[in-house]
Amino acid sequence: MTETIQPMYNWCEFAPTFGLVGLAVILLMADAFLPKFPKQAYAIAGAIGCAVAAYASAAGENLMDYFAALACVATGVCLLISYDYRKITCESVNGGLTQEGSGEFNILPLIATAGICALSKAQDLITLFVSLEVVTLSSYVLVGYYRRNQGSIEAGVKYLILGALSTGMLVFGAAWYFGMTGSFVLDPVIYAQALYGGEAHHPTIFLGFLMALCFLLFGAFFKVGAAPMHTWIPDVYQGAPTPISAFLAVSSKVAGFIALIVLLAPIAELSAALQAPITYLVTVMAVVGAATLLIGNLGAIPQTNAKRLLGYSSIGQAGFILAFFQGATCNVIDVIQYLLAYGLATLPAFCAIALIRRQRGSEEISAFRGLARTNPRLAFLITVCFASLAGVPLTAGFLVKLKAFIAILQANLSFAWMGWAMLIIMIICAAAGFYYYFKVIRAMYWEKPQAADTPISIPVSSGAIITICAILLIITGTMPLLYSYTF
Amino acid sequence: MIPLAHYLIFSGILFAIGVAGVIVRRNIIVVLMCLEMMLSAANVSLVAFSRAQGTDGIPVYDAQILALFVVGIAAAEVAIGLALIVALFRARKTVESTALTTLKD
Repeated sequence: MTETIQPMYNWCEFAPTFGLVGLAVILLMADAFLPKFPKQAYAIAGAIGCAVAAYASAAGENLMDYFAALACVATGVCLLISYDYRKITCESVNGGLTQEGSGEFNILPLIATAGICALSKAQDLITLFVSLEVVTLSSYVLVGYYRRNQGSIEAGVKYLILGALSTGMLVFGAAWYFGMTGSFVLDPVIYAQALYGGEAHHPTIFLGFLMALCFLLFGAFFKVGAAPMHTWIPDVYQGAPTPISAFLAVSSKVAGFIALIVLLAPIAELSAALQAPITYLVTVMAVVGAATLLIGNLGAIPQTNAKRLLGYSSIGQAGFILAFFQGATCNVIDVIQYLLAYGLATLPAFCAIALIRRQRGSEEISAFRGLARTNPRLAFLITVCFASLAGVPLTAGFLVKLKAFIAILQANLSFAWMGWAMLIIMIICAAAGFYYYFKVIRAMYWEKPQAADTPISIPVSSGAIITICAILLIITGTMPLLYSYTF
Repeated sequence: MIPLAHYLIFSGILFAIGVAGVIVRRNIIVVLMCLEMMLSAANVSLVAFSRAQGTDGIPVYDAQILALFVVGIAAAEVAIGLALIVALFRARKTVESTALTTLKD
């Protein structure tokens, strides 16, 4: 074994990852050795670091880099939400008298984001696994961070158990992938070798490889929140600290879709080259997509807790994004656009929940009552965000949902009736979305504020997040109509 | 020389016991042990495959590298898991999963 080993990766590619980890280590040291230093400064420093990392990621020429940039921006926004949420953080960590022990809360998201940046560069299963675990392990700590809050600890334990289950599946899948191919590299040539084989091809290799791929996909489905692995989402989103719910809803979901694309892109290339999709996988994806849509959107209908509602909504939206993967295709640009529209609407929604939780002490939808009377501008901006999530025309959410419908119509599914069934399910789910997202809007406009309800004071950073996101949603929702019919 | 299939059957059984334990057991510490067992099962497969894929008795070391990473990550997971369980025990005075009832539909 004296052959020279060709490195798969270039160190420079990982500059955002190293930068974020370096910043996190510096801040952790500062947190440990400068106990008097105000902890909210770490949130600001982290947000600036995330912005720089996003800029550095977006400079890359690969499409996957935009996922990393999106995740970095989303984490930065979550840190700004956390900056405004620091009073609750201190209360839930040590009773609110000091800031002691609340520093890592603003630093660990940076490490998770570093994992997402590394994940976007992954070309083999070892990098994929390790970077995915970096994201997941930091998220466990963050979800259970509010140790005086029963819901937070319970959410942490649930997330840990289900997350470790999916990790086990991922590793088992990776082992079988290696066993069937003799390599960890995710490449169409290796996929083709295992599926259609050369001279010494054995049918068990085909089956073993499919099994490995299914295990790996279930690991990715966990992060995405797709059907059989979705059970953690409502509980964890409800129990986790609100800035972390926002992080899980956007950054962590981006990580899941990166993993899904890394795993499925070779299949898409292969079926495009051979003109023959692998029927088993197409069927698995279609069933998972349909189940995700139904569970997410129908499960959201009876919810009364706003964070839990957004949890189910994130399952439902993941179902719409899975439409881009149907029929062994993998439209990376469409996935980025959908995630962008989803993130732009979800982050300000969580930001608004954090504001209302801080001043009205509740995360129920009923706590939005009468916001149109007390804070008309805030109510309008929140309306824009929820309308975009529902897919009202003239918002970004409508355009990306339309693209999901088009993708399903064009998808080459195993049977013709499956395409029509998916289309009908998507129409039902989009209609259900109008009902449950408008529950929040109804609470703001139709319910009267109680006598004790004062107008909500909006800190600068939260106000900026909600305003900028809502404006961007409207701009991206209307601009394409002005200069192009096909966007 | 033990054939590859024996290792794979062993690892499959270990994995199945782990999954069954996670689903069936109520004590969260036992659940955590079952989760570790799943990772160990995957490690057994990895090392067995690394020998089976090798030539002339020299294994392909890629799989053993991943096995090392898995061991490291499993240790981190246990550290976090036990910390969470301690926090849960302080809050609830129990580590049964049936006590996790704050968050539900």
